[in-house]
Amino acid sequence: MSQPAIVSENLTYHYGDLVAVDHISFEVGEGEILGFLGPNGAGKSTAVKMLTGQLLPKEGRATLLGQDIAHHAKQIQAQIGVCFELTNLYEPMTAAENLNLFARLFGVRNFNADALLERVGLGGKGKVRVETYSKGMKQRLMVARALINRPRILFLDEPTDGLDPVSSETIRNIIKEAQTNGTTVFLTTHDMVEADKLSNRVAFINKGKIVALDTPYALKQQYGKRALKAELVGANGQLESREIVMDAPDTAAQISRLFAEEKVVTVHSEEATLEDIFIQITGRGLV
Amino acid sequence: MSLRRIAILLGKELIWGPRNFLFIFAIIIPLVLTLLINLLVGTYFSGKPRLGVTDAGTSAFVAQARSLDGIVLREYGDAAALQDAVTRGAVDLGVVLPAGFDEQLKGDAAATLTVYVYGESLLKNRAILATAITNLIRDLSGQPSPVTIVSETLGDSVTMPWEQRLLPLVVLMTVILGGSMVPATSLVEEKQKRTITAITTTSTSLGELFLAKGILGVLISLTMGIVILVLNGAFGSQPLLLIGLLFLGATLAASFGVLLGALVKDINTLFATIKGIGILLYAPAIIYLFPSIPAWIGRIFPTYYIITPIVEVTQNGATWSAIRLDVGILILLILALMGIVAFITRQARSRPTMLPGIVS
Repeated sequence: MSQPAIVSENLTYHYGDLVAVDHISFEVGEGEILGFLGPNGAGKSTAVKMLTGQLLPKEGRATLLGQDIAHHAKQIQAQIGVCFELTNLYEPMTAAENLNLFARLFGVRNFNADALLERVGLGGKGKVRVETYSKGMKQRLMVARALINRPRILFLDEPTDGLDPVSSETIRNIIKEAQTNGTTVFLTTHDMVEADKLSNRVAFINKGKIVALDTPYALKQQYGKRALKAELVGANGQLESREIVMDAPDTAAQISRLFAEEKVVTVHSEEATLEDIFIQITGRGLV
Repeated sequence: MSLRRIAILLGKELIWGPRNFLFIFAIIIPLVLTLLINLLVGTYFSGKPRLGVTDAGTSAFVAQARSLDGIVLREYGDAAALQDAVTRGAVDLGVVLPAGFDEQLKGDAAATLTVYVYGESLLKNRAILATAITNLIRDLSGQPSPVTIVSETLGDSVTMPWEQRLLPLVVLMTVILGGSMVPATSLVEEKQKRTITAITTTSTSLGELFLAKGILGVLISLTMGIVILVLNGAFGSQPLLLIGLLFLGATLAASFGVLLGALVKDINTLFATIKGIGILLYAPAIIYLFPSIPAWIGRIFPTYYIITPIVEVTQNGATWSAIRLDVGILILLILALMGIVAFITRQARSRPTMLPGIVS
């Protein structure tokens, strides 16, 4: 891992007696995409609020770009971009007016709203009032707003939730592009496929604790079942399926026998999904 | 704290704020109230009663009427022009003086005087003009007054006229509507639309946002306060002192508005709170409406220190030395409120429940 852009050390937050985030520790390297996954109420949002300087941790500390967020929130916030789950745009304004306002607040010189809008697939819509935008357009505009200051860390909270496939794909491409430019991405999502596709590593959070943190591949290796699933023609002429577990001592012999003795129609490798792994680890689903 | 960012946020408020209904209320309500009071009490804009006259001859009536201080005299070339002026309401009463009117008065024959009355003129103006006309005619006829009237004031001789009693209420409403309600609603709207979170997760601080909202309140409150005093002819001979007092009043109102907006989560709660505390905010002005209520009671309400110095200067011609104690208390109240706002601003990240809706 490269130099960490985000370091969380025993980060803790509680609302009265309810512990929302319970001593979570992790690092995110510069230019890395970390998928932060967990069901509703797991503590994702509270963790993001602490990492983006909205809330002070009750215990522990978070360091972003080498500075403690508790003491240097404004310096850090000048270098990060945050895209919220719920729409929070100035809807009576046009898209360009929204972006220009934030560009001026960030002190970005020679800001070109049209170019940024073009980048998120909203070219030619700059002079349209945001209140007339669809949900997907608003979401893309929020992503655009998060990119105004060319952030070194980008926090995205459910950026593709409820969007049409085209809008979702546009946002995924923007995330990849940001990573290519060296931006660290902290991605909170319910979409396991999205997390699998985009993230270098994923963290599972459950009941305020990080219960797993690794690359999707490593998690699948560690927790997932590896198997071959074959469809073959049975004795009565009907299609039957058979599963061969990959890590058994006689896996190779089983495969040899399968092809030697049976009439194999199809063979598939079977891998666990991140959702399967999450359920396996926590005993609960993501929703 | 960045002045540049505060100016950007203030600019946004000034461009987009006027579309907010309370922003419009803050400007329109004081003007409507002034007009309403004018209609009811008939003082602020009506000024002196206006008498129109057309003289077919060379009556001394015109010259004598011109010298009267209590009325405005307008002369017209003929009866038709006078009639038109009365119909339009340009004058309250119109008098057509026939040729040889003065001679008719001095002679034995009864003189005839045609008087046009503007139907919507105030009764008070009609009564003043009728009395003035009667006195002028008696003087011209050379007859002495048959009665000497000795007037004696009964009841409360220090009771203020209604326009003076109502002025504090209008001024206080102007200062509070613009100073408190505009920043409070603006802040609560930002919370409900969650734009406040978007702003405060940039390099802009909550303090800068609060300050921009507060300055907006001060600007509206001060501007409308000046307009209302000018419209009511209450600016007097110490305009700079009055502007200073209005500025301090607007600052206290704006600090209160920001505090209210910070503590209240949604617009329904805000209006419920305003309804609940409205009587306390306007209590000093209500006390002015009823001079029989002991004036000291007003001192327990913070807004007393906004309105009393203004009233003292506008209505009693008080100088700085007479109001400095009240102004000192007003400044202390401003500092106290600003201190509270600064304290809760610092608590926003560690105790978010204190400022609901800031973190969303």
